[in-house]
Amino acid sequence: MTETATDVKEMREIARALLAEGDVRVIIGWEAARRGARPVFVTDPAEADRLIFDARCVHNLVTYLNPRRDHVAELGKIGLIVKGCDVKAVAGLLREAQLTRDDVVLIGVRCGGVLEENEMPAAVTLTRDNVAPRCYGCDNREPTLFDHLVGEPQPEPPRPAQTIDERIAALEDRPLEERWAFWTEQFSKCVRCYACRQVCPLCVCERCVADKTRPQWIEPSPHARGNLSWNVTRALHLAGRCVGCGECERFCPVGIPLSLMNRELQQIVAERYGYTVGDDPEQAAPIGDYRLDDEQEFIK
Amino acid sequence: MSDGRFFISESDLRALAADLLGAGTEVIAPVAVDACASPAAMASSACMRPGMEPEDLEYRALTDASQLDLGRGLPILSLKGYFLPEHEALCRWKQKGTTIEIEAVPTEFAPRVVLAAKPCDSAALAVVDEVMNWDYQDELWNGRRAATTIINLACPVIDESCFCTAVGAAPDATTGADGLLMPVKDGYVLEATTEKGRALVEAHKARLVGSVPAETLGRQAADERSAASARVAGNLEIDAGSVRDWIDTHFEDPLLASLAIRCNGCGACSSVCPTCHCFDIVDEEEGVGRGTRRRCWDTCQSPTFTLHASGHNPRDDQNARYRQRINHKFAIYPLRFGEVLCTGCGRCTRVCHAGQDLVEILQAIDIAARRPDEAEAAAAPEPAPAAPEPVTS
Repeated sequence: MTETATDVKEMREIARALLAEGDVRVIIGWEAARRGARPVFVTDPAEADRLIFDARCVHNLVTYLNPRRDHVAELGKIGLIVKGCDVKAVAGLLREAQLTRDDVVLIGVRCGGVLEENEMPAAVTLTRDNVAPRCYGCDNREPTLFDHLVGEPQPEPPRPAQTIDERIAALEDRPLEERWAFWTEQFSKCVRCYACRQVCPLCVCERCVADKTRPQWIEPSPHARGNLSWNVTRALHLAGRCVGCGECERFCPVGIPLSLMNRELQQIVAERYGYTVGDDPEQAAPIGDYRLDDEQEFIK
Repeated sequence: MSDGRFFISESDLRALAADLLGAGTEVIAPVAVDACASPAAMASSACMRPGMEPEDLEYRALTDASQLDLGRGLPILSLKGYFLPEHEALCRWKQKGTTIEIEAVPTEFAPRVVLAAKPCDSAALAVVDEVMNWDYQDELWNGRRAATTIINLACPVIDESCFCTAVGAAPDATTGADGLLMPVKDGYVLEATTEKGRALVEAHKARLVGSVPAETLGRQAADERSAASARVAGNLEIDAGSVRDWIDTHFEDPLLASLAIRCNGCGACSSVCPTCHCFDIVDEEEGVGRGTRRRCWDTCQSPTFTLHASGHNPRDDQNARYRQRINHKFAIYPLRFGEVLCTGCGRCTRVCHAGQDLVEILQAIDIAARRPDEAEAAAAPEPAPAAPEPVTS
């Protein structure tokens, strides 16, 4: 634990200095609360010691940079603590001109993986049974987008009992009608609370297509048609944009395995456009990029 | 002779459920469902995440009495959906030129029974009855309420997010229900508390033993009831009246006006809440000139909930929207109807992965209301109990 504690100490020092010198008005990081780790907003340098970082810090705090969040923006310039996966979402916001680089001070933390279930009084050692499956094969343990980077290089997260890709492969092996039955059952659980959208760091639309009534693109009722339409539309809107942070799935109150869809689309985008989402905001995403040699055989 | 209490063994309870099903009565009860349920056997391996419980508990209409889960966990969604469905048709329309035909929906329902309901879920129905009969009598709600007999199963108290006793409910309450099952050795003590409950007991007398020895089963039941109440009271004790009055007079107080900083405004709390009853009414076209008018669950946590046609939004940020949630539940509703719009089930706290914690919030408001001198200390969330202290080696 010595190493982790050193990371935390360094992180607190940086946060304290940024607040004390007025470089930022608020540091958004994690604290330990009654039910486990949760987001914390520190505005007073004297309170920087509330900040923690351990395997329970699963939240992607980049969602608080979302330009829609007036009550956070009101606090003033943000210093944000980010893991390697989280910072890909910052790159996404920069790439899509939702944010300018000077709007935020990024305190990167080197991360060796997080827990699947974080609501516990103290962090436990990561194992194949408790690690968040999305951490497997993490390609950003050494982030490049940051203003400060704390901590020593971390070991690779353990391989989960079953990886997301293995789960997708298991699904893909099945005939179309079984896959249809699977997703029909999953979407039937949806209550259309839109938690997936609200927590997504890249769901930044001023007005979501699901909220439009003239015309009504997506039926608002949580029946089979409306739910299919909503979940598939959202997945497609995130194709080539989703950073795989898994927050949509974690927040879903009824347990729809949204990561499977999002990851499948990531795979398709990688295959078709050779694009893997990273933390370089200059790297153009397929949705905002045109190349003469783009695949176009589907245009008939 | 019986004092209105009966003993029923677990097998007889299942047999009673089977009798009801056999007679064509719908029986709704907690059922352990495969979290990844799908007709395809492979689905569970695709959907299961390591470390995840393979089964969730949900209120479902039983297809077989063996499905009845008496494990006393808390279903993911409350009973609300059986009275105010996630979506339901209010009417259907057909339009040809200027002629509009309206097809009404039925407002009478076949009798049905809920077995092993959570006391916090039945209590919520009684609270919501008030608003559903305030100025307009909601026929769909009332029709389903009238058709349903609810037997609660006393709750052992689930975890540190339960706080029913702080808001006037209890783990063994029968508010909103028609009877109570209290687990004892080898079975349950069944007590009917309303006419509907007594009618159910009367109809199934053959499955019941008409006397409960006070010294053995009676005492065991009483002991567990008081132990459960004490456990939940340990989670939170507030004075709901003081909380109500304080909220009512402190609309602009920084405590109320800045509760939602970490809130994502996702509304999952409203979906799982047994008392949140706000709905939206939408017209969905189902072809040219015909469609259905439906009502769907809505949430005050969404900006569109109060968005005016002019573009003005009176609750224009998440802090204002979250304050509304607290204000409605703990001040507006009790001021109008005398009851808090919350039964302490704790689902909102458990479902919030951003860490909004109603137990902590009510505690802070209670302290501000009753012990203002301590309020400043409480305004800052508790010191991090599990924060690793920096090691300087």
